Amino acid sequence: MKDLTRRGFLGLAGAAGVAAGLAACAGTGSAPSASGGGGAAAGGPLQFWSNHPGTSKDTEAKLIEAFQKANPGITVSLIDGGKNYEEVAQKFNAALAGGQLPDVIVASDVTWFNFALNKQLAPLDDLLAAAGLKTDDYVDALYNDYKFNGKHYALPFARSTPLFYYNKAMWTAAGLPDRGPTTWDEFKEWAPKLAAVAGADKVALQLADGSNYLDWYFQNMAWSMGGQLSKEWTATASDPKTVAAGQFLQDLAKNKWAKFSKSPDAEFSAGIAAACLQSTGTLGGITKNAKFEFGTAFLPGDGACPTGGAGVAIPAGLSDERKKNAVKFIEFLTNTESTVTFTQATGYMPVRKSALDNEAEKAFLEKNPRAKVAVQQLSKTRSQDNARVLVPGGGARIGKALDQIAQGGDVATVFAALDKETQAAIDSQIKPKL
Amino acid sequence: MSTHLQVSQGDRHRTPLMSAAGYAAMVLVVLIIAVPLFWILITSFKERQDIYVRPAQYWPSPATTDNYRDTVTSIPFPAYFRNSLIITALLAAAKITLGVLSAYALSLLRFPGRNLVFLIVIAALMVPNQITVISNYALVAQLGWRNTFQGIVIPLAGVAFGTFLMRNQFLSLPTEIIEAARLDGAGPMKLLWRVVMPMSWPTLVAFSLITVVNEWNEYLWPFLMSDNEKTAPLQVGLTLLQNNEGGNNWGPVMAGTVLTVLPILILFLFLQRQMIKGLTAGAVKS
Repeated sequence: MKDLTRRGFLGLAGAAGVAAGLAACAGTGSAPSASGGGGAAAGGPLQFWSNHPGTSKDTEAKLIEAFQKANPGITVSLIDGGKNYEEVAQKFNAALAGGQLPDVIVASDVTWFNFALNKQLAPLDDLLAAAGLKTDDYVDALYNDYKFNGKHYALPFARSTPLFYYNKAMWTAAGLPDRGPTTWDEFKEWAPKLAAVAGADKVALQLADGSNYLDWYFQNMAWSMGGQLSKEWTATASDPKTVAAGQFLQDLAKNKWAKFSKSPDAEFSAGIAAACLQSTGTLGGITKNAKFEFGTAFLPGDGACPTGGAGVAIPAGLSDERKKNAVKFIEFLTNTESTVTFTQATGYMPVRKSALDNEAEKAFLEKNPRAKVAVQQLSKTRSQDNARVLVPGGGARIGKALDQIAQGGDVATVFAALDKETQAAIDSQIKPKL
Repeated sequence: MSTHLQVSQGDRHRTPLMSAAGYAAMVLVVLIIAVPLFWILITSFKERQDIYVRPAQYWPSPATTDNYRDTVTSIPFPAYFRNSLIITALLAAAKITLGVLSAYALSLLRFPGRNLVFLIVIAALMVPNQITVISNYALVAQLGWRNTFQGIVIPLAGVAFGTFLMRNQFLSLPTEIIEAARLDGAGPMKLLWRVVMPMSWPTLVAFSLITVVNEWNEYLWPFLMSDNEKTAPLQVGLTLLQNNEGGNNWGPVMAGTVLTVLPILILFLFLQRQMIKGLTAGAVKS
């Protein structure tokens, strides 16, 4: 008994000691951000943290080489930032706590805003103006995606939209016209025919699941039916029209017309799905893998196509000298010639208006009608709902709700709960900083 | 060890029905573990268009080694592999040394505050790695240790689990033997090497194995610490084979996974024999 109490006391003392130790540890986190200048020595190469979207490491390296040739004296090292946008953001988050900032990071449609909101990204307008660089040639919709409080926090780089891919042979067998559906209702009429042609072990439409950006594609469904996930800073998923879109998604799943997986392009290019929704960035991959003729089409619904993908941004904590070089670099990375090179290698969208006048690009689009469809769709895009891209954790939260719906959860209930969570996040994390 | 004996005695009294049920359970467990592994293995030998087919292909035909060639050539595989070996070797050595020495001190040496130290160590065991990542990052970055092996290894070298495991093992040793050794004039180090360690071999091997597997699979910290193939281990390198929006090419990913698993598998087979040897050595006659 005596022993026990002694142990109890020691336990408490130990716990206190550990807590103190941890607090001391955590304290080291705040020191370096003041020094701010980034870990690389002042004259060292620019650190470009990228996840190489669309398997673009070689292309990025090529662009960097061209940049160094055009700007002797500035060197850039390409750093593996992780396997996806979220990992780059995670790594950047750690760097923000501990110094050694990168000079340029890839920031996706969902990750940039939180950094901008917390003043961790540098507003680019003044930097660009000081360097004498113009921005009016960027595709407006893409450039303005990074606008917050009148300032821009990133330049569009690997920008994509979803695209409707369809298997032409199965389309013909089902007696459908050689085009994508113009509305989701039309697809609903087509789906049974496609399912009949496809047979029991195949599926009419393959979609990504909730942890693989179904939330991104779902915006198209919601918008085309008049709904949306949020209006400015108000969550609107429980709006009857959005609920109807959710119901539509659930019906697709219930009737076994749609299935969900990690990478729909894999099923599609293996010929076991008649159609799929995937990013334009996947066009290159599907073209390489599909051993049959396939077509691309606009998403159903006019003007209901979300933009997506990533831009390049500069951390706020860098020295002015490094910012100056970094802004030169990201402008080069997204100039007409670079964007043509980059998008042809990957399938992303050209981010410059003048890219469409570029001879190489014209010839490329002539030869690749499927890529042309993707580029033409750019004029029918719409900026994404704040609930998905600007609210912290928004994409994941909506994806989870959609997963529940696809598995048969009651749509109205799930969306009401989603709205509550979204609104709470907005009220606690965003409104105070606006 | 005594429980082991009881189990094996119990075996003899089992009815055929019971052993049949036992074997069925065993087969089931093996299947649960083996089927995904089997799937990884055959996928790594499949051609790209054969990976996603219905009905599924249970044997690669035609088999190809292209995926392996892709894996080794499309990412700097040898560099990642070397880094993995270096990091795992350094970490395992540090953890095993620290674990054994600290456990020895905390179980068999007498000094004031011993239990307090032990409790602090145990408390440290309960703080997940991920929580300390940010502060560790800050510290290591200030030291200028990013992209160095010491930056990866040193923050991970703290070992609470090993201390806990080995201490309990040392405490379970018969005190008669320890006291006999002390009476015979063995100093602390001699006691450790000649008496305590030989009797603790199986636990040490198990601990080493767990440590090596854990360190080999470490992802988050090395990922944050390293920018490229100069210091990044295989687990980080493999992510280059996967890419969002680029479409997944599973063949090379699976091939990379197989190549990553192999060294651990070999080590396991080797150490497993040691573990059994240790188990049957028997320091005490009962």
